[in-house]
Amino acid sequence: MRYRVIAAVIAALALGVVVATTASAGTKATHTLVVWLQVDAQTGWPSVVANANTAFENANPGWTVDVQYQSWGTHLQNFDATIAGNDVPDVIEMGNTEMTKYMAAGAFANITASKSQFQNSSHWLAGLTKSSMFNGKLYGVPYYAGSRLVTYRTDQFKKAGIRKPPRSLAQFESDLTKVKAKEKGIKHYSPFYMGGTDWYSALSFVYDYGGSIAVLKHGKWVGQLESKRSIAGLTAYMKFFHSYAPKSAATLNEANPAPYTVFSQNRTGAIFGPGWFSCCTGTKYAKVTGQFVMPSHIAGKSMPGFLGGSDLAVPKQGTQQAQAREWIADFTNTANEKALQAKGDIPNATNLLNNSVNDRAAKASWFVPTAKYWVNVENGNILRVMLAQILTGKYSVKQAAQNADSNIEYTLNQP
Amino acid sequence: MGAAAEAVSTRPRRRPLTWRRARRGSVPYLLIFPVIAVMAAILAYPLYQLVRLAFQRYGLPELISHKGVYVGFANFTSVLHDGIFWHTLLRTVAFTVANVGLTIVLGTLMALLLVRVSKWVRILITIGLVLVWSMPPVVAVQVWNWMTNVQNGVLNYILTTLHFGNFDQHNWFASPFSQLAVVTTLVVWGALPFVAITVYAALSQVPHELVEAAQIDGARAWQVFKDVTLPVIQPVLLILTSLSILWDFGVFTQAYLLIGQPQILPSNYLMSVYLWEEAYFKNDYGRGAAISILMLASVALLSLMYVRRMLRIGEVDR
Repeated sequence: MRYRVIAAVIAALALGVVVATTASAGTKATHTLVVWLQVDAQTGWPSVVANANTAFENANPGWTVDVQYQSWGTHLQNFDATIAGNDVPDVIEMGNTEMTKYMAAGAFANITASKSQFQNSSHWLAGLTKSSMFNGKLYGVPYYAGSRLVTYRTDQFKKAGIRKPPRSLAQFESDLTKVKAKEKGIKHYSPFYMGGTDWYSALSFVYDYGGSIAVLKHGKWVGQLESKRSIAGLTAYMKFFHSYAPKSAATLNEANPAPYTVFSQNRTGAIFGPGWFSCCTGTKYAKVTGQFVMPSHIAGKSMPGFLGGSDLAVPKQGTQQAQAREWIADFTNTANEKALQAKGDIPNATNLLNNSVNDRAAKASWFVPTAKYWVNVENGNILRVMLAQILTGKYSVKQAAQNADSNIEYTLNQP
Repeated sequence: MGAAAEAVSTRPRRRPLTWRRARRGSVPYLLIFPVIAVMAAILAYPLYQLVRLAFQRYGLPELISHKGVYVGFANFTSVLHDGIFWHTLLRTVAFTVANVGLTIVLGTLMALLLVRVSKWVRILITIGLVLVWSMPPVVAVQVWNWMTNVQNGVLNYILTTLHFGNFDQHNWFASPFSQLAVVTTLVVWGALPFVAITVYAALSQVPHELVEAAQIDGARAWQVFKDVTLPVIQPVLLILTSLSILWDFGVFTQAYLLIGQPQILPSNYLMSVYLWEEAYFKNDYGRGAAISILMLASVALLSLMYVRRMLRIGEVDR
């Protein structure tokens, strides 16, 4: 009996081997290019992805592109796991603030020599190019950027007698005061809404007043939030927030609740955040949703917005790097970048910019310090803590900024 | 044991070792072998790697080159000199005590209730408990998130409607204490069914005549519980308590997801969250390994007392 069982197992195994060999002999040998993109591409511009895949597959018979969609919260941990297991994707989309740490660690292939392979590479956006360079070498291809805009209720602003977008912060404040007076009747209404700890938006005030987060001095990062100009920016933010945003939002962030959700529930007249916020202001208010560039405290200028964006990199451990570069070139060609622009994103090169509200906002922008450990400042929520301390009155602006500076210096100057 | 050892030592002289006897003697080892092999593969080997990792500098560059650098006890000294570690340890111990205490007390009360109610109510409650038990923590977190939502949460609505104060737009995640209190309700809620059902089973072992005798002697309900019921169910409670300590000390999913990454801070770290932040967010795997070994040591210390008492009960029973 026992021998019969063993024989059966051996026979089954043999059969399996035969089936496997015939299967691989029967079909043509194929290669797969694995690409990791963020879900934004899946929901926002699947046709651009499909265009690039078709172009690549037509030029490379026998190749297929396997696009695997990732989410911002977990993609770095997933990437780390593939690095450990020697199973990296051929192409990976990285947030521009995430690049430096991985470039410094040697995770990406140096593509400096292939720069001319990518269309418009001589006109790439400065902010994105900066995030793709480390020690003078290029490790990433700018993909697209996103600017920050004020998304507002045109009907409510009109009702308050406001006909034009504000030209200065002071004018925006007086506009919001008028809107507030008109909409007193709505429960839980605030003329302006943002999560108080949304540092991407809040720190625009700091840069508007000439401040910054940190600068490199003699090889060491020095926190700049306690500088006079930064303090002026943070104070202006605090005053603005206290006057027009709901008190309960002081310790909230931009994810929960999403500002556009608050907008769609008719609880606010204006929100400040990425340009794509206009996507989700609710079917009821889609027709009365408008956007303008956040005005500076200096009349006639725009407040610098955080230049968020993505780069595409080729992991060093990948074995199909030439094909990976080719796919990136297809994906970021002029036609595809124009398609992204049509969806409300900022294309990767200055020669493609037009006069849309998005592109105008991109002209004045700020970016985080390109320090190796910057992402730890982000994930350590150091800036969020500072903002919450300021808005709740737990510490004075100066004290909170000093705390944040010392934490930032400690994090960025690690050996 | 002594007699068996003697038998083994004297027998071989009288009966030579035959092939058949050796084969029969090896049967128990063969039977246990698969278990040992599986345990070695899924526990011993990773544990060995973890200890090795704890003595290496192992960050992102080392992950890419697949080669760590031995640094002796540097990871341990850096963790032990980190004020955040000690604060987190204290906070986690307090969190564990609160969670285990609430779970055991509420679970026991619920079990006592199950004994009293009619059969139909008992079935309904049991179904409810099993449903709670079967809900994955990630889903439960989502439900909790909805209920505690600042703007539309049902919790704020109910508390305000019932005149417990003005909870309109109350942010339950504004302070670390409040955050961990909400996490506690979720953890205790999820752990109740197991404790309630197990204690209910243990309660059926309490001899009815003992309870009756105590009642006839004039004991009050509390006295009956304390002097008759409790000693009988004590072994079960001890096992439940030590298991709960293990679980609650290592809580991660509920704390991390409910508080949410943008609000995760050293001031609300629990041990496993601290470990996750150091190892995976900061890519310092060596330090992470050192933290997890220290965590293992602390939880072993915490549950030592209970394990010892359990062993003592075991000895008495024998």
